[in-house]
Amino acid sequence: MDRLINLKINGETYELNVKPNTLLLDLIRDEIGLTGTKRGCDTGECGACTVLIEGKAVNSCLVLAIEADGKNILTIEGLAKNGKVHPIQEGFIEEGAVQCGFCTPGMILSAKALLDENPNPTEEEIKKAIAGNLCRCTGYKKIIKAIISAAEKMRRRG
Amino acid sequence: MSNYFAIGKPIPRIDAIEKVTGRAIYGDDLRFPNLLYGKVLRSKYAHAKILDINIDKAKKLLGVRAIVVGKEMSSVLGGEAIMDYPFLAIDKVRYVGEAVAAVAAINEEIAEEALDLIEVTYEELPAIFDPLKAMEEGAPLIHEGINSYRHIPVIKPIEHSNICHHVQFVNGDVGKGFNESDYVFDDTFTTQVVQHGAIEPHVAIAQYDPTDKITVWVNNDGPHRLRNDLSKALGIPSTKVRIINPPYIGGGFGGKGGLKEETICIALAQKTNCRPVKILLNREEVFTSTITRHSSVVRMKTGVKKDGTIVAREVKVIYDTGAYAEKGPTVTNQASVAAAGPYKIPNVKVDGYCVYTNKTIAGAYRGYGIPQVAWAHESQMDIIADKLGMDPIEIRLKNVLDEGDICPTGRQIMTSIGLKECIRKIQNDSNWKKVHKKAIGRGIACAFKNTKTPSGSSAVVKINSDGSIEILTSSVEEGQGSKIVLAQILSEELNVPLCSITVSSPDTDVTPYDASSTSSRTTFHMGNAVKNAAKDVKKQVLEIASNLFKARIGDLRIENGKIYKIQDPGRKLSISEVIQSKYRSGLDIIGRGSYYPEVPSEKGGMWASPSVFWMYGAHGVEVEVDTETGRVKILKVVAAHDVGKTINPVTCEGQIEGGVVHGIGTTLFEEMIIGEKGEIVNTSFLDYKMPTALDISEIIPIIIEVTHKDGPYGAKGIGEMTLVPTAPAIANAIYDAIGVRIKDLPITPEKILNNLKKT
Repeated sequence: MDRLINLKINGETYELNVKPNTLLLDLIRDEIGLTGTKRGCDTGECGACTVLIEGKAVNSCLVLAIEADGKNILTIEGLAKNGKVHPIQEGFIEEGAVQCGFCTPGMILSAKALLDENPNPTEEEIKKAIAGNLCRCTGYKKIIKAIISAAEKMRRRG
Repeated sequence: MSNYFAIGKPIPRIDAIEKVTGRAIYGDDLRFPNLLYGKVLRSKYAHAKILDINIDKAKKLLGVRAIVVGKEMSSVLGGEAIMDYPFLAIDKVRYVGEAVAAVAAINEEIAEEALDLIEVTYEELPAIFDPLKAMEEGAPLIHEGINSYRHIPVIKPIEHSNICHHVQFVNGDVGKGFNESDYVFDDTFTTQVVQHGAIEPHVAIAQYDPTDKITVWVNNDGPHRLRNDLSKALGIPSTKVRIINPPYIGGGFGGKGGLKEETICIALAQKTNCRPVKILLNREEVFTSTITRHSSVVRMKTGVKKDGTIVAREVKVIYDTGAYAEKGPTVTNQASVAAAGPYKIPNVKVDGYCVYTNKTIAGAYRGYGIPQVAWAHESQMDIIADKLGMDPIEIRLKNVLDEGDICPTGRQIMTSIGLKECIRKIQNDSNWKKVHKKAIGRGIACAFKNTKTPSGSSAVVKINSDGSIEILTSSVEEGQGSKIVLAQILSEELNVPLCSITVSSPDTDVTPYDASSTSSRTTFHMGNAVKNAAKDVKKQVLEIASNLFKARIGDLRIENGKIYKIQDPGRKLSISEVIQSKYRSGLDIIGRGSYYPEVPSEKGGMWASPSVFWMYGAHGVEVEVDTETGRVKILKVVAAHDVGKTINPVTCEGQIEGGVVHGIGTTLFEEMIIGEKGEIVNTSFLDYKMPTALDISEIIPIIIEVTHKDGPYGAKGIGEMTLVPTAPAIANAIYDAIGVRIKDLPITPEKILNNLKKT
């Protein structure tokens, strides 16, 4: 039996009929059509499908769509506002933290969840926050640098 | 200081904005109307005859649109080096995970359900998982047809055996060399099976049109190579095959080249009446059914003088290529050429063997066989230094190649060698001489790597009448930064702003030939092609301008997109104004450029010539070993690489940092475990451990520039080389720390503890 759910994705309200076994990842990618949320493993191990539910970073491949009923969800497409990229996105561009880009959306959202809660994290705290996001290209160094530089920028801008 | 306009500048990548905003499109993001979903039934046996496949029940399932089995394409065999690869298993399966049948259905659930209804009857055959046993005379043959397969000329399969390629390089006389040596060292080193670990899985969509032309959208690293391979395998003209790359590929590292899921997708698409079929591999399939790195056994016998001079080296290299040759034979070739290491050695003999076993196929993997031989020669280098009481850096500096030396395996004079500088940087920047604390050690390793030669690249540069510029190229952006590097080369050569340049993604109907985005060849080969195309288009623009300015071409200059007469810099016209002055109703100016290395033309074509360039690098590693737990902590890695000339320092550093961490993973914890029946036990990122952010240490990338005479602005490649020296440098550091020498990868805590007990 399909169920009617109501959720906000990137500030827009959606009312959708979903199957009880539909994953949030599939809903976001296939029903809504936001393909910035990536599918890397389907089992919650790579972090490429990370989205924020009520500000918390979660693997959307491990969440049923019906569990997201009534929730606020942020995907990578919702981060830039009015054509202006978020300081974390800016940091990733400027520090060269992007290579193939497949882990990037999840990595950026994990960083956002961290910085929203802890605006001045240590390097170790950053490493812990992105430990669930695998990257095979960069060796993480420039990603960590990008998050540090974004944190500074965000603190300065208040 | 340089006067470059764009070269050497840390310009942010042009693809970064799409990637950070989630707008970058990858294979699984493409959308198709009327799409069918393909799923694959895979063998549970490592070696078995297929007696029967019954698809009756599956066919009747509502929503199933096509089912295909290998027998339907029994005459079709593909493969770049040896054509031994069926689109689906034909009469027998040769590894666990091999495709046996496939279903296309209106959704994934139905396709999965249909797989369960297919009944396959097998007759199990004896399987071989050990390459040494597979090489023995009388071993069960994995490919009875080895003698009849078509193959490229440089490959030499041994008849009635499981050895699909044997190559030998001889230079000097090793027997004489060993006689003249004061010491002879004989060690055997082995490496494990590892996975590429790109975060994006393999995906293909195939669709026939009514003229029987097949289009494949696929995240493959060599679209033109794939087109050639498919047209050869299917026996159709290459114009009947169109390969379209999605704009971006989510990492490759060698794992996304050659024939993979696309063959099965095509087999299904032949039966769907022009409907597109998509196959997206799940993570387990990526582990079991794509490719891995070759596990290896390398025996290295080295004769040295008391003063550390290497006199002779004999190497036997055995690569386990699994069930099909894939790129194994050329991996074996390339690595055998480099197996003696980057040293002056007068007497060298290398035998390389590529061997079939009943394991998952091994193929290209960042480093293309070199990490395995470097693991051997660099580990042994420290064994030798230790015995002679020499410093590991001193013995390397004594023996490494200098400008004009002959390659240890012969065939070519080596030039543009930045290796000594790399080693000296390690010496200076890695606390090399600081006093050691307990259980802390330092190690160094160096290496060199070749690129496939000869191989060609073409590019088209189009200037639109509004002055915007497009590069049409078949280089694949899989994370390495080809788009920004090619744009910087064009920006430099034309002296136009980078923001006016866009770089295409590959479409074999549109973008010109490129051998592949592999072998660290793009900057060098495609970079040269783009540079040549830029020269061509520049000449055409200046010809038009010479009429406008009433000046000779030689008196005109383009600067930051504006054209002027050198004697009259006050009057400037944009490129757009110049083009429109002649073509008022609109026309583009098209420049073409190709690059094919001028190398001695040995018989055999593909892979047959000495390498057009060599990459050089050295890593210094500091480790701390916990002698209670056997755990190794990497404290610091200094990684120096000779890139010829830096096009973009940020992408070079990114390659180095990524390669170092990739190397830490494949040295300390990554291993695909093969079960008794040939099945891969750990097929998820949970069980196959790749480095996370928590595993990294201080990494210091160092870029050395010894320009190459044929490279664009002197540039060479870098991508693969960054992985190569890490493993032996770590092993050498561990020995320095605790006196334990590990010769088989990975270096697990268990191995360290076992060895500690022995010492």
